[in-house]
Formats: sequence, structure tokens, C-alpha cells
Amino acid sequence: MNGFYGTDLAGTVATWVAALATIGVWSYLVGWRRLFVLMQHLLAGLATGYLVLLAIREVLVPRLAVPLVEHPADRLLLIPALVLVLMLIAASWLPRRAVAPVAAILVGGLTAFALGGAVVGTVLPQIAAALPTTSAASPDLLGEVISLVITSLVLLAFLHGAPRGRLTTRAAGVGRWLLVGGIGAWLGFLVVSRLSLLVDRVAFLLGDWLTVLK
Amino acid sequence: MSDESFARLRRAAPALVLLLALAVASLLSGSIGGLRLASPDRSRVDQVRNAIGNLPDGALVLLAFDADLGTYAEIRATTRSAIDDLRAHGARLAIVSFTPEGRAIAAAERDRMARAGEVAPVDLGFVAGSEAGLVRGIESIIPAGAEGDTVDAVREGGGGIGAFDMVLIISGSDISARSWVEQVGMRLPALPMVAIAPTFLDPELEPYLRSGQLTALISTLREGVAYTETVAAGSASAPGPIVGSLPMLVGLLAALGVLAEAAFRQLGRRSRSTVRRRGRR
Repeated sequence: MNGFYGTDLAGTVATWVAALATIGVWSYLVGWRRLFVLMQHLLAGLATGYLVLLAIREVLVPRLAVPLVEHPADRLLLIPALVLVLMLIAASWLPRRAVAPVAAILVGGLTAFALGGAVVGTVLPQIAAALPTTSAASPDLLGEVISLVITSLVLLAFLHGAPRGRLTTRAAGVGRWLLVGGIGAWLGFLVVSRLSLLVDRVAFLLGDWLTVLK
Repeated sequence: MSDESFARLRRAAPALVLLLALAVASLLSGSIGGLRLASPDRSRVDQVRNAIGNLPDGALVLLAFDADLGTYAEIRATTRSAIDDLRAHGARLAIVSFTPEGRAIAAAERDRMARAGEVAPVDLGFVAGSEAGLVRGIESIIPAGAEGDTVDAVREGGGGIGAFDMVLIISGSDISARSWVEQVGMRLPALPMVAIAPTFLDPELEPYLRSGQLTALISTLREGVAYTETVAAGSASAPGPIVGSLPMLVGLLAALGVLAEAAFRQLGRRSRSTVRRRGRR
């Protein structure tokens, strides 16, 4: 039992809906596309409805509307935020020149956070971690050197179109094969992961729905 | 049965046989001993247990619940075990989500705990804004109207993510442990961050563990099963079903069979084309 559904009527109905939806998706295996497409529509509709509810209940009302109504003097910065939200809601009616700056602020702000974090939080610390920093007596020195060599070769594989000599071309070729090997290993992980999800679904049908698996 | 239906069934036969084999293997899984899915290497398990064991009494722990609906089943038992482990060490828990999917799963888990009579973690709700929301959470993470001892303790500590003694990051969706390392780790370097992630995130997150940016990480199925078994041995509550080792073995053998069949078919094509080329000469 995965524990998500209770033993009351609502839980039983939820279990049946989940089981029938699972079988509906699997019906694609025998070519029954209509049922599969119906399940896709159901998922898309539910997800959209859920997102709208979440945005209204947990973001717009408690973090924007309520503070503005209760303490308008203390929350002056929320007024331009409200204007931006209203402009995005009315984006289909407003001229593009009015909506574009709002969308630009939204996308630019998020990208700045993501890019800044990637450089400061990932690229720089990972470069530092890839460099051999331990003393020559360290038992891990060999591993660190190998790690540095592999990192360098894989980075060279990304020199698409840049002018380079024969040695660099060969190193980039080795880097490309290392990359392919890495992706292959990752796909192996992915197969195990997806298989465990399939086994879990089978266990759900046998355990939660048919109750033949304890 | 029409020819078209028969052809359709024939095409679907391998998948249906696999499903049937998995079902039979799942039913037999409990009665067959000798197969172990748990990883024999306990280093990752020990890292998580040490991180939790080193927490002070009554430590404030934030559960950053941003799992993915599609892959949560893989880490469900591990997550529940980690929550049990934290509770057993007297931690005070709060739960927050930065993705809509994570929020849905967090709400379902809180409902499950309430049904089971367990004390659910304090709900800090959903924070919008992706990375920007994470950064804002460093300053203030308590929603308006939240009350209780745990919330008061967080307020006393500044009201942000920095008030917590540890963050347990349940990864899987867009805001994963990587986002936490990039946005929060750089601003709060002393905050221990432990992550539980589905297998597909392992190559992405492992470098952060090696560089010390993550305190501990469980990101493969076998490590998860090992951790769940270790915690379950000293716990009264059940983490829910753990993936059976026999169906996994059957599935992996089927995957290997498909790979071998594809490789032989490729070899066969090559040898046939070589023979044809020689014949033309």
C-alpha cells in the first residue's frame, strides 16, 4: 500500500480512478489510442486547473491581494507587482509593446538568478573541485588527476567549429567518446529508474487495487 | 478476431508478457529469499545517518519538497524513512515547496501522515518564483498567518531558511538540489543540505557531494533501499512498499534481452550487407 489513499469511500474511489487511469495509459500498448489520448487530456485538464487554483489560493490572494488590502501603506512595492500581473492577464488584448517589457522583466529576472547561480554555485566550485589540491602523498591524487584529464577532454569535445590543430582534434575525439560513454551510463541509470516506476505501478494494481499483494 | 486486431496484439505481445512477468514476480517477491536490492556499500547511507544523527536536540529541519509526480514513486520509501529518521532524532519539521508538483505531493504526504495519526510537519506552503523564490526564502519563508511552536522558533532564528539547522531536499522537478546549492548554498554556506533524488539526477548531483556542497546524498534505488531497510530496522512505522528485488531482476533481464536482440540484429544486418557487397564484386 502506498498510503496515499484512505480506506473510506473517497479513498476507494481514488484508488479505482488511479487504477483505471493506469490501465487506460497502458492500453496504448495494444493500440487503443483513444483511451490513451483521453487520459492525456484528463491529465492536462487536471494540471491546468490545479495550477490556476494554486496560483490564486497560494500566491495571488495571500501574497498580493491580502497584504495590499490590509496594509496598503506598508506594501507600496506590491502596487507595481499588481499592475504587472494585470497586464499579463490581459496580454491577449493589450498591444504587444505594452506587454513585452513585462514579459522581459519576468524572463530576465528569472534568467539572471539562474545564470548567476550557475556560475557562482556550480561552474567556479566545480572547477576548483576538479583541480588536484591534495598533497602528493594523498591516496586520491591519481583519481583527481584522472578526473581533471577527463574533464578537460570532455570540455575540448565542445569546441565545435573553433580552429584547432591535429592534437586538439584527437583530444576532442577522445572527449566525445568519453561523453558518449557517460551518456550511456546515465541511460543505464535511467532504465533502472523507469523500471522501478513500472514495478511500483504493477505493485499498486496488485496491492492497493486488487489487494492480492500484501 | 480480425487480422488487424491479431496483428495489433502480436505487436503488443512482448510488452504484455513483460507486464505479466512483472506481476508474477511481484507476487512471488516476498517468498523468494537470497535476492537483495539494497546496496552493499553503506557509505551514502552512513553519510545521511550521520548528518541526521549530528543534529542537536529539537533541531529545526526544513523539508524542501520538490519531487516530480512521475518519479516520486522511486524515492517515496526513502523520503518517508528520512522523515521517520528525523522524527526519531527529535527534529522539528517544516515543509515547503517551490514547484506546483512538489506542493501536490507534499500535501498528499501531509494527508497520509494525518490519516496515520502521525504529527505532520508544519506547512509553510508553496513559494512561487522558482530561483527568485528560493532567494527570497532566505530572508523570509513563513507565510502570513502561520502559527505554532516550530514557526515561533523559525521566527526567532530570523524567519528565513537560515533559521533551520538542516535542509532535506526531496528532488525530482525543476527546483532540485542543484538549485539549492546554487542559490542557497552560496548565501548560507554553513547550512547542511542533504538530498534525496531519483536515479536520473545522480550524475547531476554527485559532483556537488564530492565538492562538499551537499552534506549527503541518496540518489540511486539501491542506496534508497539500503537506507530504508536501515531506518526501518529501528522504527515502528512503515515507509510503504519498497520495490521488490525479483521484479527488478526480471525487468533488468528483459532489458538486457532487448539490448542483446538489438545488437545481434545489427550484427546480422552488417554481415548480410558485407556478403552482398562481396557478391557484387
